[in-house]
Amino acid sequence: MLNTNQSLNIDTHTMDVQELTTEFEKFKGQLKSYILRMTASATDAEDLLQDTYLKAHDKLDTFRGESTLKTWVFAIASNLARDLLKSKKRWPENVTDICREEALNEPSMFAKSMFIRNNSPQGNFEIKEHIAFCFTCVSKSLPLEQHLCVLLKEVYDFSLKEVATILKVSEQMVKYYLHTGRTKMIEVFDGRCALINQEGICHQCTEINGIFNPKQNTQEELVKIKMYREAQKGDKQHLFDLRMQVVAGIDPFESGAAELQLHHLEFNRKTMEKYLKKND
Amino acid sequence: MTNLNSTTSDGKAITIKKTFSRETAVSIEIGADQAVIWALLTNASDFSRWNSTIISIDGEIVQGEKIKLKATLDPKRTFKIKIKEVVPEKKMVWGDAMGNRVFTLTKQANNKVLFHMREKIGSPMFPLFASQIPPFDDAFEQYAADLKKEAESIAAN
Repeated sequence: MLNTNQSLNIDTHTMDVQELTTEFEKFKGQLKSYILRMTASATDAEDLLQDTYLKAHDKLDTFRGESTLKTWVFAIASNLARDLLKSKKRWPENVTDICREEALNEPSMFAKSMFIRNNSPQGNFEIKEHIAFCFTCVSKSLPLEQHLCVLLKEVYDFSLKEVATILKVSEQMVKYYLHTGRTKMIEVFDGRCALINQEGICHQCTEINGIFNPKQNTQEELVKIKMYREAQKGDKQHLFDLRMQVVAGIDPFESGAAELQLHHLEFNRKTMEKYLKKND
Repeated sequence: MTNLNSTTSDGKAITIKKTFSRETAVSIEIGADQAVIWALLTNASDFSRWNSTIISIDGEIVQGEKIKLKATLDPKRTFKIKIKEVVPEKKMVWGDAMGNRVFTLTKQANNKVLFHMREKIGSPMFPLFASQIPPFDDAFEQYAADLKKEAESIAAN
């Protein structure tokens, strides 16, 4: 006897727990980095990753294969992160300036950074890693929906349709969020980032590179980065695309700079919490 | 008699002057999603990016809230405006003691959206200061043209 779906000729895809676990493992790293880039917290990324798996496990019978499992799971994670973030204020555009000042007043932060640099296998400092770190911080100044759209489309390469499915909005609204989010980020980086604009006010990546890699020729390191090489052409959209390629190419938990950058991110997150509370 | 509720959709502003009031309206057809046009009209912090008639809007465009608006028409003044009515994706009314500005979005049979904006200012004292208030026509036309350009460019992406 046919079951209801077969008799109605509905194309459903059932999945068992083993299949879920196997598939989940394949994109777990991407999902964890996505949550980190939303929350700027490694602890939240760990917690929400587990919560996402548990929720996917519990609701597995509702997965009908109308999207890929990855899209479905990213939707669950996005919802959980939205719940976590909806009551929190967004960060200011000059987050890196504020955190730099705080770091200069806190010697223990630098001491721990140096310890990680000298002792951890994930304590390297690379400029491109800092570019990704910087994006994680600055993009938290975008309104949440714009932030998620930019991450999902530009960093995790989901299609417009998939982003719409994940965020439960129309494709047209995804276009709106992407357009406004990209435009804002391009404007912020154009005004701040000395890598792409000689008048940019932020030199933090090269400044810190000089501290952690004193024997390195910074200029030689910079020319390895396509975004820097092409900065003179002045195509701001293209430079943002190149920035997104840098971000997409880095796994913030697995790279050779992960421990150092996560330490810096945690410092920035705590600094922002204090700053936002003080300025409430 | 001219009816400002049904101006032509060519983006040309029309003004009717009376002794105690003045009313300006503009309409334009936009080939974009109604929700996107609405989002553009209600995202205060993003307004000055696409709308060349607005210098800044502080506050949130939410029913009952007050916003501070600076416009190119009179850059030295900050208008304190209350968001009086919001019907999502359809209608919004802003206003102060001088008058109200009404925005409407209407889905057309050709799948385009008709944006209509009108503002009526007036009071018993209006004749005393009417000559000091600049005409709104150019700013209204620019507002409508900027909205159309931005919304259609998003739709085309």
